[in-house]
Amino acid sequence: MAKSIIPIGPYHPLQEEPEFFTLTVDGETVVDIDVSIGYNHRGIEKLSEMKTFDQSTFVIERICGICSTSHPFAYTRAVEDIIPVEVPDRAKYIRTIIGEGERIHSHLLWLGLAGHFLGYNTVYMWVWKLREEILDAMEILSGNRNNYAMFKPGGVRRDINSEDIPPALRKIESIVPTLNKLKKAIIDDPVLHARLKGIGILTKEEALDYCALGPTSRASGVAKDVRKDAPYGAYDQVQWDMIVTENGDVFDKVVVRVLEMFESVKIMKQCLENLPPGEIDLNIKNIPPGEGIGAHEAPRGETFHYVRSDGTNRPARHKVRAPTFMNLPTFKATVIGETISDATIILASIDPCYCCTERMSVMNCRGKKIYSGEDLVRLSQDKTKLIQKKMGLK
Amino acid sequence: MKLPKIRELTEAIKALLSKPYTSKFPKKPHIPHPNFRGQPVYNEDKCVGCLACEQVCPVEAIDHRDDADPSNPKRIMIHYTDTCIFCGSCEAACIADKEGIKLSNEWDLAFFDRKTAQETIEKELQLCEICGEPIACKDHLKWIAEKIGELSYSSPTLYFSHLKSLGIIDDNLIQASRDYGRSDRVKILCARCRRESTLTTSSR
Repeated sequence: MAKSIIPIGPYHPLQEEPEFFTLTVDGETVVDIDVSIGYNHRGIEKLSEMKTFDQSTFVIERICGICSTSHPFAYTRAVEDIIPVEVPDRAKYIRTIIGEGERIHSHLLWLGLAGHFLGYNTVYMWVWKLREEILDAMEILSGNRNNYAMFKPGGVRRDINSEDIPPALRKIESIVPTLNKLKKAIIDDPVLHARLKGIGILTKEEALDYCALGPTSRASGVAKDVRKDAPYGAYDQVQWDMIVTENGDVFDKVVVRVLEMFESVKIMKQCLENLPPGEIDLNIKNIPPGEGIGAHEAPRGETFHYVRSDGTNRPARHKVRAPTFMNLPTFKATVIGETISDATIILASIDPCYCCTERMSVMNCRGKKIYSGEDLVRLSQDKTKLIQKKMGLK
Repeated sequence: MKLPKIRELTEAIKALLSKPYTSKFPKKPHIPHPNFRGQPVYNEDKCVGCLACEQVCPVEAIDHRDDADPSNPKRIMIHYTDTCIFCGSCEAACIADKEGIKLSNEWDLAFFDRKTAQETIEKELQLCEICGEPIACKDHLKWIAEKIGELSYSSPTLYFSHLKSLGIIDDNLIQASRDYGRSDRVKILCARCRRESTLTTSSR
């Protein structure tokens, strides 16, 4: 039977990010998928090597607009791992608060987009309205709705004033009743059940084989969370549960994210109420030669940073691994066998962020000739001549 | 099956009856929270022109231009508002009790011409009395002299500039002569002229 190829990209019409999916379809069913990325390479790792350790945090923050705390969190942990130092307790708590606030707004953003992808624009509007409250709370706590500029190697840049805590707490707690309603509305909506249950199943074995991370793996029953496995910040000093579901379909990924938001509210509340007094910064002056690693459980999964120092005030090497890099290959297991109409939501179900992922792309030329710039110009000119000849032009 | 529909219907009716959630921005001005990190603004009285903010700025949004005209020497501090990311590093690094440059609540930064997207302040510059090269801003030398107290009397550059700012001694004229004499050692000098005058006059 003849197979057709459906290209999605290089600019995804729905997710509005540069990536390219090649769906090979047999009728309505997807039989193969190929993903190519590398359209959005910005040279951030190199740029970070040109800035000082302190300035790099601002570049790292701009890897992704949504994970604007996850990357600095992992980076500062990597730099602190070089020395190594333990940041003051108050800084740990503030970091945790900012990290969890980001998780709530990222999950809400994804939930709204998922509703939009499914044609549920009510969910989209409702959820994004809810997200405003969290962004307002973040503005009170950090001074900005996004790109918080709070992190620095050795601590945090800004303290949280005690008079700002009650209004921020009120804002954060105000989302819980609406979130509860939303949870019920999503969990027993018949249309969402029909659209999401049993779609794009990632089994536990597959999740382990593909090394899936974050909510993608936790929805498949793999209890993996850096915050629990290797506690950092204040995560071991507060009470919270890891959300794990068993089915691995898109519906479970929604459920994991919705329930995780309640845990994040719980963590933020405990941290804000028990903010320990003391210093917020170690004032690190010199970074000795060495290498360090840092990880943080970003909303999408584990973000991993590697930093090498040669004793100067700039990183000698900085490597970033974003969670989407690990979750992307799971499409091979989830999309194949589903219909094209379901592929849209499955491709969005891992909460992909291609801007985070685009660190470096290597094109495998499989032993074929590598064209130089001149060759490409010549090829193009040859083609023009060929067309002119075909059309009977001179 | 029926219950969820009723719940959603109540929500819809509530939304119908309530006011729009969005703000009426152009009609009603937006007032950000006092904690909001907006555009950094120089305080011309407090700033000493030490360039610490320029050093730490991660996006090179702060620059300076030295105008070493002997009649009116000045340093122009420039803040490019279009490249600024409002991180607050300048405020954190400010030596003048973090008052020289401060993040404001200003968020309305739209402009038509990129060349206008900058704010400048002028600081009086202290020139070397021999070669006429800029040393530092007058306020900066005064700040150092006040900071180190009586130790500033070990450096003529510091104590003269301090005494001048207090109005105790008159302004000296800048001499064009490049011959270093013994008396040159008691003048306001740049680092190079101080070394030259010390080296050439100490052996005599």
